[in-house]
Amino acid sequence: MATYLLRRALLGIVTLLVITCFVYGLARAMPGTPLTVQLGEDPSRKLNPEDQERLRRIYGLDKPWYAGYLQWLGNVAQGDLGRSITRKQPVTTLIAERIGPTFLVSGTALLLIWLMAIPLGLYASARSGAPDERATSLLLYVLYSFPTFVAALFLQIIFAVWLKGTAWELPLFGMTSLPPDAPWLTRLADVARHMILPVTCQTYVSLAYDSRFIKANMEEVLRQDYIRTARAKGASPTSVLVYHAFRNTLIPLVTLLGLSLPALLGGSVIIEQIFTWPGMGRLFFESIRERDYPTIMGLTLMFSVLTLLGQLLADVLYCVVDPRVSVD
Amino acid sequence: MAAAPLDSRRVSRPRGFWGEAWVRFRRRPLAMAALAFVGFLVAVAVFAPAIAGTKPVLCRYKGRLYTPCLAYFNRNWEPAVFARDKFRGTYPRNLKEKDPDSWAIWPLFFQDPYRAVRADEWPGLPENPAMDEGRPSRLNPFGTDQSGVDVLAKMVHGTTVALLVGFVSMGIAGTIGIVMGALGGYFGGWVDMLTSRLTEIVMCIPTLVLILAIIAILEKPTIWHTMAIIGATGWTGIARLTRGEFLRLKTSEFVMAARAAGAGPVRIMLRHILPNALAPILVPITFGIAAAILVESSLSFLGFGPPPPTASWGAVLNDARSNYQMWWLVVFPGTAIFLTVLAYNLIGEGLQEATDPRLREARK
Repeated sequence: MATYLLRRALLGIVTLLVITCFVYGLARAMPGTPLTVQLGEDPSRKLNPEDQERLRRIYGLDKPWYAGYLQWLGNVAQGDLGRSITRKQPVTTLIAERIGPTFLVSGTALLLIWLMAIPLGLYASARSGAPDERATSLLLYVLYSFPTFVAALFLQIIFAVWLKGTAWELPLFGMTSLPPDAPWLTRLADVARHMILPVTCQTYVSLAYDSRFIKANMEEVLRQDYIRTARAKGASPTSVLVYHAFRNTLIPLVTLLGLSLPALLGGSVIIEQIFTWPGMGRLFFESIRERDYPTIMGLTLMFSVLTLLGQLLADVLYCVVDPRVSVD
Repeated sequence: MAAAPLDSRRVSRPRGFWGEAWVRFRRRPLAMAALAFVGFLVAVAVFAPAIAGTKPVLCRYKGRLYTPCLAYFNRNWEPAVFARDKFRGTYPRNLKEKDPDSWAIWPLFFQDPYRAVRADEWPGLPENPAMDEGRPSRLNPFGTDQSGVDVLAKMVHGTTVALLVGFVSMGIAGTIGIVMGALGGYFGGWVDMLTSRLTEIVMCIPTLVLILAIIAILEKPTIWHTMAIIGATGWTGIARLTRGEFLRLKTSEFVMAARAAGAGPVRIMLRHILPNALAPILVPITFGIAAAILVESSLSFLGFGPPPPTASWGAVLNDARSNYQMWWLVVFPGTAIFLTVLAYNLIGEGLQEATDPRLREARK
């Protein structure tokens, strides 16, 4: 196990090096620099050439991209992700600020997904082929094909425009509309109201996918001989379904859980963009637009590490839950 | 279903794998409906200029026949004579004024996807309403956008983009994915190591960053660039699956037989393994078409799609964000994207059930 982990870690580092190098080169190749993009076209805010040159030197933008990359790499090796050029804050502070809101939405969504997907998947496999199951499965399938950003817009129009003025009205965007000095209980309720639409959007697609996944795995397991044995010895249908069948579908489920790790902390760019949710996805989108290289790189590093960790976690958990599988 | 066993001809002659799969696919009403819907979209895309437009499908002008509507496919295909005679894109009145003997066959629906129709441009047709006024009406069934451009016309012409994105980008992704997976799976060793690492790296790079960065780098991004980028990033799943299939099939007896007969690696991969691995690979490609359409429309929605005047469903959605009162800018293109994605997913599902022997056994 230890050698396996070591090998995976080494391979992971090589992968990370290639990814960060590629993304850094790509980011630097985008037209404009943080200085020019940030100041925009406004002539009154244009810096004079000397100031611009001075700033370029301070941020290391005068050097070729590979030199900048090596410098970034050196800093990262010492645990320093650098400072955001456009926001004048350390990248770690920015990430720390944004990770909470993202986790709030995706954590709630993930919890809801699993709380609903498992009963739904079990129900679908128990009633497999019955008219009510086929209707539910079709509905879930339709939901699965429903693009999140279209759903987000539909929900916004329904709850923020058509139901405006009723008790059902929900806020269009943002995380809170109260001043920071409001009592915390009211603030909490307000944030919860703002969360409803983004959480709904993040939940429904995965819910549809995961419950179908569970059902597919259950169907596979229910065909096994030991299920027939369990039925023959007189185990109740519920007991067969839950104790004999479902426990044996946990293995692929664990893999799925591992692979959802990057989304949990990475957030969804498009959902956060539509609901102006101050999370990681939105930070990513903004930093690309502002050409804020340190932030782009910090976030890329984080996403890649999470993706690789998620894959590793899935593989390792696989061996833990299924003793027949060995990592080597 | 009842007819199949009665038909003695079919029983006597085996149908082969794909014929068998087609018979099973046809039994799924939803998959067939989805296939019909995609066929309908192809028809709309091909005949878009004849469905909605302001240029005649066919007209006789000064003794010669022209098809000005083809200009919607490529601006250079607009017959030069109309530019010379200063038509400025307005056909109905100019045709009559400049040549009284002219005649024309008009599109079904006189609305332009790129500009608002002016008052009396078509005899008796009022000017398109703009902004909040443009709600769906008899003249504009899907409403009009901020500047008064008809949404139905935009969507009819945007069908081309939606379909092309799916086919072109998945064509690219399928080619890269199959080549990568085939090489890795067949040769193994360091080749496999290399292709697997490459797949992993592409999987880890956030697709959106890649797409946004490349679009920013290109000076004049067109829809073709977007398709190429979606294709270049969307092959990882296909590569993994192909690799698995090749790993499984390369040890089979027919491959050994082919090798014994002296077939080279390229011939074995293309002629012997690939046809047998194609069915499971086609499934993620179909789902990939749906995903590519989603990526393109979300890019357009974020404002990074093909530049105007290319019509795209996602771009209409983007217009809606500036004014939520204009619900028709969300409902119609949103539904179109949803139905198209659903159709491809249903086809993929049908294909999977029709070609996967394990699922077939389960049905019995």
